Amino acid sequence: MAKKKAKKPTPAQQARKAKLTAKDKKTLNALVGMADGVFKQASRGRAPYLEVPSRSLSNVKYSPTKKIIEMGSSKNKRELFNLSQARTYMQTLLVGRGCKELIEQGKTTSIRGLYYLLKHTIDGTREETFNDQGDCDPVIEDVEVTLNALREELHVYASNRGAMVGNIQLIDSGDEIDCSRMGSGGYAIPSIVEEEVMQFVKCDADFILHVEKDTVWRRFNEDKFWKEHNCILTHGNGQPPRGVRRLLSRMHNELGLPIYCLLDNDPWGYYIYSVIKQGSINLAYESRRMAIPGAKFIGLRSRDYELCELNPSVTIKLSDNDIKRANQIAKYPWFEKKKRWQAEIKKMLTNGFKLEVEALISKDISYVTQEYVPERLAQGNFLD
Amino acid sequence: MANKASGKSKSRRSTAQAMAAKQRSISVSEFFAKNRHLLGFDNPRKALLTTVKEAVDNSLDACEEAGIAPEIWVNITQTEPDRYQVSIQDNGPGILKKQIPLIFGKLLYGSKFHRLRMSRGQQGIGISAAGMYGMLTTGKPVKIVSKLSIRKPAHYYELQIDTKTNNPQILNNRGDGLDIPAGEKGRAIMEKKKIEWEAFYPVPEVEPSTSDDEHAEGETETREAPAPVEVRSGTRVTLEIEAKYQRGRGSVDEYLEMTAIANPHVTLHYTDPEGTLHTYARSTDQLPPEAKEIKPHPYGVELGRLVTMLKELKEGTITQFLTSSFSRVSPAVARRICETAEVSTRSSVKKISRDEADKIYKAIQQTKIKAPSTDCIAPIGEELLLKGLHQVVPGEFYVAATRPPSVYRGNPFQIECALAYGGQNAAQKVSIELLERLIEETDARTLRQFLMNTFDGLGSDSAEKIMKAGEFGSRQSPSKLKQAEIERLHDSMKNVNVSDGQAMQVLRYANRVPLQFKMRDCAITQTVMKMNWRSYGLSQSRSNLPSGPVRVMVHVASVWVPFTSESKEAIAHYDEIQKEIRLGLQTVGRKLGMFLRRRQQVKKEGERRNVFVRYLGEVAQAVSDLNGCDKEEIYNHLTRVAKRVTKEADTKLDDRGNKVSPEDYGDNVLIINDDPEGELTEQLDKTTPQKKLF
Repeated sequence: MAKKKAKKPTPAQQARKAKLTAKDKKTLNALVGMADGVFKQASRGRAPYLEVPSRSLSNVKYSPTKKIIEMGSSKNKRELFNLSQARTYMQTLLVGRGCKELIEQGKTTSIRGLYYLLKHTIDGTREETFNDQGDCDPVIEDVEVTLNALREELHVYASNRGAMVGNIQLIDSGDEIDCSRMGSGGYAIPSIVEEEVMQFVKCDADFILHVEKDTVWRRFNEDKFWKEHNCILTHGNGQPPRGVRRLLSRMHNELGLPIYCLLDNDPWGYYIYSVIKQGSINLAYESRRMAIPGAKFIGLRSRDYELCELNPSVTIKLSDNDIKRANQIAKYPWFEKKKRWQAEIKKMLTNGFKLEVEALISKDISYVTQEYVPERLAQGNFLD
Repeated sequence: MANKASGKSKSRRSTAQAMAAKQRSISVSEFFAKNRHLLGFDNPRKALLTTVKEAVDNSLDACEEAGIAPEIWVNITQTEPDRYQVSIQDNGPGILKKQIPLIFGKLLYGSKFHRLRMSRGQQGIGISAAGMYGMLTTGKPVKIVSKLSIRKPAHYYELQIDTKTNNPQILNNRGDGLDIPAGEKGRAIMEKKKIEWEAFYPVPEVEPSTSDDEHAEGETETREAPAPVEVRSGTRVTLEIEAKYQRGRGSVDEYLEMTAIANPHVTLHYTDPEGTLHTYARSTDQLPPEAKEIKPHPYGVELGRLVTMLKELKEGTITQFLTSSFSRVSPAVARRICETAEVSTRSSVKKISRDEADKIYKAIQQTKIKAPSTDCIAPIGEELLLKGLHQVVPGEFYVAATRPPSVYRGNPFQIECALAYGGQNAAQKVSIELLERLIEETDARTLRQFLMNTFDGLGSDSAEKIMKAGEFGSRQSPSKLKQAEIERLHDSMKNVNVSDGQAMQVLRYANRVPLQFKMRDCAITQTVMKMNWRSYGLSQSRSNLPSGPVRVMVHVASVWVPFTSESKEAIAHYDEIQKEIRLGLQTVGRKLGMFLRRRQQVKKEGERRNVFVRYLGEVAQAVSDLNGCDKEEIYNHLTRVAKRVTKEADTKLDDRGNKVSPEDYGDNVLIINDDPEGELTEQLDKTTPQKKLF
């Protein structure tokens, strides 16, 4: 495989020479710098290592003034001559090499594509460079933080997830898109939504309603909620991917639209809200671009069980894991000082059950779109 | 009994008088003729072994007592189906003419029973019982040739035991035996009468290591071809017995191999029934030090024996009796015994009553008496144990330990342990021809049974694996295998890794004599099983023999080895003995643990280096693609760093934080091919970048 690899770039080398943007040049320089470091260390007889900023909770700080999660300065050494790190070290350099190839050829690929690009059997062994994509994804994130380059700067994108409808028109890669005419499927939010790719043309909407899942989103779309209330309706298929978060952040900041989130009443829903609002721990280095400190939480609230007079059969008992996670979330610095949030989490724990948004369907199929959300929007009854 | 039963009935079945007519003494010979299993003649296969064993043990004892480096010839030939002729010859001092009939033709006649001295034989039953067994099963007499010196005539006897009277009967030459003159003439007579006798030592291929050759007169040939050395003295016993020859566990072959391990000063020439000669050459000329005879220690004497001893002594005072008959009894100790027993120190032995004897016996137990002197035991010694083990058992690691002497019930004893690790299992060494013959000989009903019975250290798991690999049915009979199937079996035996499921093999010895039966009853096996071998790097399920390619040898040397039965097959469970065995095993176990840990470490380092080497090519490629540097150059840089980094890691610390190095094993360790450093470097050098990357 290595043999092939060595030859392959040669025909491509002539074909490539795609025009490099300033951003590309910067990224390329960073990649070459990484390799130079290895060479320098090895030629001096030292065991080579890379410094990878740590992406764990311990290296994450909540900035109370900016109200977002920021990455700290602590870095982990990734050594070649360390049994537990040798393989990841090799993979990190491989990802670097793959990104360089992409940039030089002016192409982009999905993270899955990059995984296939780099996957091969190591010479003289039966070992694969990457066993599965789960092996590859964290390494890509490592390269992002190590080079301080964003994913799109490395010409890699994630698979599309999430959809949008509403009174907004935009240009995506040169095509004009009217999000009020997207049928029942909606506009699939791409992974890269930076200004170079996407520009807003016109927006009449008053606010954005972000829901957790596709099923709930469809309910709202079918009931033409966005038309009635003049809003933009998005979902992120659970934990929203970067594209969705970045788009929400751009619409919030550039178009001045308030964002309301309708999520499940469980620790997972709380965390999704937290990610949208403050940024995620894993991608803390992206918080600047993605966090929306102004986002608001509509529901579901723990007290809604009584308020909406829900049937006991729609509750789901909290698992041990849920309880653990809820306590963890309650202790996050960005939740710790918010009394209403503490009360909310405590209420869920005393309830002993969680509620999905779909539970409201038990009242009436359109209860959520016709009563629940409009009521709360009118009252201005949110959690912050 | 008869009286009680007759209470109600008038017509008695028998009367005391009538019964008295039938009551008579039983001769020892008669008793053993009916109870031959007590002496190890339970079945034809074991009878063959016991016969060889008794004769060889006697020969070795005689040679060592006379200070001659033993050379033993064992010949087994088949005369009829189920009948074998067994001859054993030694180069010992020979036996006086008038003693020959008594030694070979009378049960319980010998020199070893009445003394306390470390020797192989003890009771004087063995060889005469073998003769009796031969007589009972084939009717053939025992033939003995004995030669006292090079010039004196040899004696030839054909003997039988009169089982009624336990007395020998000489059959040849009208009850006088035959005298054969020395030299050529005698050899001619022997040839004519078909009397077997090894007159010369076999000419060794290497330098002869046998005793002085000044007696090789007459032979004045060229120096280049060494003249054969005549056997100056010795005894040859020939018996014909009903027997069955079979290799494997509990066989003559195994016995002789085990004997060679524990007796590195012995040379054995063994011709098996197929006519193959096996020679176990001695690895040392040094005879074990002569064992001293000791007086019994008071603690080891029971009341009955005490009374007998008192009766044997005709005169003297009780003090004299105590000080002269026992070891470690000084006049002061004797006085204390007498005081405790409330017997006058000057009372005459003759006047000691049964009650007083009882009191004296109890007093002895209450009095503090120094432990017996232990210099009467001649251990094999650690160095010779290693030599013997290495000579016979293939392996990578050998260790031996001799414990200081100790005492049980007033009898001194000493424990020696040795251990061999590694090497191939017998099942993997066996040739296809031998396998065919083994299959012919076996009486096992299933193939699985055959594998487990024939090959030592082959557990049921391994047998199962072999059969699976060869696609044999679980109940297949070994006797019905076709040629192609035998070949398939041979193949799968070679290819299956049996060392995992292989159980530790325990070689047991008592006074240098191998113990081959009743493994589970023996104190040695029990102690081995009770030990925790896991802490020494072997795997072991609870209270079982550990597994792995390990052989452990345990030698119990004592002036009186406590056996569980007359057939001398298992050692009795005395706490003192078991404790010493445990301590000895712990010593060898610790060293094995060090060896295994070190090997593990080396293996781990090798894997470690391997991991790095594996990724270096990928890393070099990536770096060169990224910054355009020379791939080979960066690869070489990285390899150099890899070597340095893993070399540092090679000198790892053991679990106590000390550097592990070969010297730390201490004395009495033998390691074959232990060069982990070399291996590793080789491994690293093998993966050159040029071949792999371009």
